[in-house]
Amino acid sequence: MLRTLGRQIWKYRAYYLMLLPGIIYYAVYKYLPIYGIVIAFKDYDMLAGIANSPWADPWYKHFQAFYESPYFSQLLVNTVLISLYKLVFGMFPPIALAVLLNECRVDWFKRWVQTLSYMPHFLSWVIIYGILIVLLSQDSGIVNQLIAEFGGNPIPFLTSTEWFRSVLVGSEIWQNLGWGAIIYLAAMAGIDPTLYEAARVDGASRLRMIWHITLPGIRNVIVLLLILRLGQMMDAGFDQIYILYNIHVYPVADILDTWVFRTGLEQWNFSLAAAVGLFKSVIGLLLVLGSNSLAKKWGEGIW
Amino acid sequence: MAKKQLVFALLAAGALASFMLAGCGSGNETGGAEGSGEGGANQASAPVTINMTLPGTGLPTPDNDDIKKALDEKLGTDIQLTAIQSGDDYNNQLRVRMSAGNYPDLFTTSYTYLKEFAEKGLILDLTPYLEKELKPAKDFITNLSSEDIWKKVTVNGKIYAIPRVPDVPFSSFWIRQDWLDNLKLNPPTTLDELFEVAKAFTEQDPDGNKKNDTYGITGQKFDAFSPVFGAYGVGQPGTFYEKDGNVINAYYDPNMPEALAFIKKLIDAGVVDPELMTNKGTVDQQKAFQGKAGIIFKGWIEISKDEFVNQYKTINPKAEWVHIDAPKGPAGQFNGSFDFDMPSRYYAIPKAMEKDKAKLQKIFDLINYVSGEEGNDLVMYGIEGKHYNVVDGKVEPTELMAVEGNYFHLYQITGRPNKEYLEVKFPNQAEDIEFAIRIPRIKTLDSSIVPPTGFNKADADRYAEEELVKFVYGKRPLSEYGDFLKTLETTFKYNLYVDEAMKQIKEQGLANNG
Amino acid sequence: MVRGLEDKIFNAVSYTILALVGLVTVVPLLYVLSVSLTPYAEVLKNGGYVLFPKEITFNAYEKLLSNSAIPRAFQITIFVTVVGTAINLTLTALLAYPLSRKGMPGRRLFLFMVVFTLLFNGGIIPTYLIVKATGLIDTVWALIVPNAIWSFNVLVMKGFFENLPEEIFESARIDGAHEWRILLRIAVPLSIPSIMTIGLFYAVGHWNSFFAAIMYITDRSLFPLQVVVREILMMTQQPLENAEDMVPTVTMQMSAVIFASLPIIAVYPFLQKHFTKGMIIGSIKG
Repeated sequence: MLRTLGRQIWKYRAYYLMLLPGIIYYAVYKYLPIYGIVIAFKDYDMLAGIANSPWADPWYKHFQAFYESPYFSQLLVNTVLISLYKLVFGMFPPIALAVLLNECRVDWFKRWVQTLSYMPHFLSWVIIYGILIVLLSQDSGIVNQLIAEFGGNPIPFLTSTEWFRSVLVGSEIWQNLGWGAIIYLAAMAGIDPTLYEAARVDGASRLRMIWHITLPGIRNVIVLLLILRLGQMMDAGFDQIYILYNIHVYPVADILDTWVFRTGLEQWNFSLAAAVGLFKSVIGLLLVLGSNSLAKKWGEGIW
Repeated sequence: MAKKQLVFALLAAGALASFMLAGCGSGNETGGAEGSGEGGANQASAPVTINMTLPGTGLPTPDNDDIKKALDEKLGTDIQLTAIQSGDDYNNQLRVRMSAGNYPDLFTTSYTYLKEFAEKGLILDLTPYLEKELKPAKDFITNLSSEDIWKKVTVNGKIYAIPRVPDVPFSSFWIRQDWLDNLKLNPPTTLDELFEVAKAFTEQDPDGNKKNDTYGITGQKFDAFSPVFGAYGVGQPGTFYEKDGNVINAYYDPNMPEALAFIKKLIDAGVVDPELMTNKGTVDQQKAFQGKAGIIFKGWIEISKDEFVNQYKTINPKAEWVHIDAPKGPAGQFNGSFDFDMPSRYYAIPKAMEKDKAKLQKIFDLINYVSGEEGNDLVMYGIEGKHYNVVDGKVEPTELMAVEGNYFHLYQITGRPNKEYLEVKFPNQAEDIEFAIRIPRIKTLDSSIVPPTGFNKADADRYAEEELVKFVYGKRPLSEYGDFLKTLETTFKYNLYVDEAMKQIKEQGLANNG
Repeated sequence: MVRGLEDKIFNAVSYTILALVGLVTVVPLLYVLSVSLTPYAEVLKNGGYVLFPKEITFNAYEKLLSNSAIPRAFQITIFVTVVGTAINLTLTALLAYPLSRKGMPGRRLFLFMVVFTLLFNGGIIPTYLIVKATGLIDTVWALIVPNAIWSFNVLVMKGFFENLPEEIFESARIDGAHEWRILLRIAVPLSIPSIMTIGLFYAVGHWNSFFAAIMYITDRSLFPLQVVVREILMMTQQPLENAEDMVPTVTMQMSAVIFASLPIIAVYPFLQKHFTKGMIIGSIKG
């Protein structure tokens, strides 16, 4: 048994050698610091350091502080919902864009759309917020001026609980549409062109080829991204929400990360931040484990 | 084909990298050469490096930093100032550096952190040095403020920070004089007149463009109504101040519901910018400049500085913003609330510096120097002959001061005589500066209150702000104000905070009857 | 015939959608660009925004570049992006390739370890301590080494390597090729589109990052471009505290955005042609 394992390892020795720099990197910069997670269970003391800080009493003290916030359930619901909306509505558009670009035969047009759609990724949320105000502001926004012109009532997009999440999801999709498509385009570039040629000879239509060749060809990338996105389920987008939200929409927009941030502004507490972080990570891990084993039944999965 | 391209790309990357590295390397070398040059001029000893850090903006690179050069030459130091723009980023970095024992030599912090650092024994107790080594700085600060300022940097009876002289207030109501003129109105002097003017600004087309596109009042959240609260003798929501000989919290001020009722009246009448509660940063200022509202509560630094006058005059040459007194109300006339004793910065020195006596002395030298006449002039006005000239004993700024002088304050460790300084730096705003300093405000006491454990101030603040918004927007009747306070106490444990604050204010000896 | 018609409809629909996507992204971008190029007085008179400038000026850019920190910061950013990406790609390929080949004992464990770091991290204090212990504080390497490998990119590259047909590797092995040789001569050249993509991810990541600089760097001469740009952008997000602070005008903010992103945006069009090199595989197989 051991000898076969030994022989196996010897057989793959070149691989292990290749892995070595990566393993060293992960060991030093990722796994050595990971002991910091214990801060969640300690009363972190700056002078004593992580190892010598006293244990929290009870051990779940910082989790309790967070659980006992009157806003706990609201934060949780907002985090999951915003994240879920972004996942559901945000997953498909970049794939669709990539497929359309891949099918596009007019080279200059393709290149322009591709480059343009990727540019919003470089605008920070501060700038996007400025653009959103110009577009959506209640009394001077371009959209509301148009609505008024057609006799409608102005819609408080940025300040109403009904609209705010749509603004979050919409602006995120806009920002990431072209950027998200890149990875699928790269995957499509790896599809064997002879498959298309054969299908064309068989008289298959474009839609059929997309369905039977293109999409299966990028299936593993889609699954990979889906699983990783599920792992980030508890991250609903701090930067975006922090810049965009306001007192009127807190009930639908306040998420775990913004709460930790605001709490920390008053009294920075590494232990509380670590506890919330750990909570998010554990949920992410469960989702990744679950979705990965599901994906494996399809023959995909990360590991 | 592809392989060749890849090899080429890698080669190009490598070449570029080494080129860049060489660039970086030579940059360092010149830096070193400069240093040794200065050392040569100051043969006695090598310059002592002082790492100083604070949140701030506009700092030039060291070779363009005249103040650094002048200080270094005078004191035999190499001052390495790091200014990070955002306070949040700054706090993040500082906390991590303190945790890792990688201390800056001199840094600013807030009272909450100061207390924590002091209790953990991370920063130096300055009490023993104040009467001797730091005497010049101490006298400078006390003369420009009051003895009370030292209470604000005291933790458990010991002084842990050099307090920078408190800022003076900047804010007041500003109004469009040309709109008043168009409508033949006088500036409002009472709450009722404020209401009438705001209504006229909304409904009577003050800009004469035949469009219904103006509001009376804009601003940011409840700050916009500071003088309204003041008219009822109420401080900004959440603040602590003295009233009738007792320290109270603004939410418990018996006049609070009335003040809210007046704000509600303004909002109900549609004379307030509907986005007032969501305006952030410079949004409300820009709205005012764009002629969307005629009354705003702001500091002169955001309205009448030359750059801003230029802005609104560009948009509308007829526009004229003037400051007005706070409206009179049942409790008098107050331009909101202000903590007059709050140090504008808290400078701390790490405890570890105790062991490096020579360096500690240099830090003291620096602090004292910028508190002395020569040094204070340097960090206020820059280099004589370059940034300013002295004419008949008065400081006359040159044009270069306006261009280069905006970062000098980062070196004002102990502060400055505010009025004199601001009037030199902003000669065109002298009247506004004096006005903002003169007008009465409610004196708040809470800048050095540390929330107790078990109380989440962020949660309580959110709840209180949300409910106040509901009250003034008519989404919750004001008759439920008592229920609001009850929830604030039971669900959000606000009473813990109030009790703790009272205790701390008493301990710090800040209240007159304390 | 039916196929021809279907193709036509498909084309009509797909070009319309693509044109719409282009339009929806170009308008806000045009706003940013136009504001940066319009005289400030014009922008103000227009209510703060302009879509088509009547008059063009580079004033805002000149003012931006007069900031003495910018040339140095630009150098730092280019250095970090170029060197960082080269290191990233090398290490990522070395890690992703073996993990993409089935059969190696421990493969699944390694993969799980990679995924695990996407979910769990020790927080900023222990990470800072490691960066300090490895002597990187206040050096440019603090902007490169702690982020030498991104788990996400490892997994993506591994996914791309997996898509390569197994037969190629088999035949190479039968020809007696060494694993290193297979990686360098077969796997990497065949994966140019994906390597370019991941290189782009890394490069953009380096280009846009400021957090590492804020945490690990106190020496002003080592600040990258984004720290300076962030300073310009964030100033309008909070109330003014000091009378002396100059608020950057909206034209300056927009010019900072354009200036700081144009160089990296310009990289993409050059990479795009590599995304259509799917034929390589076909030619080798053939």
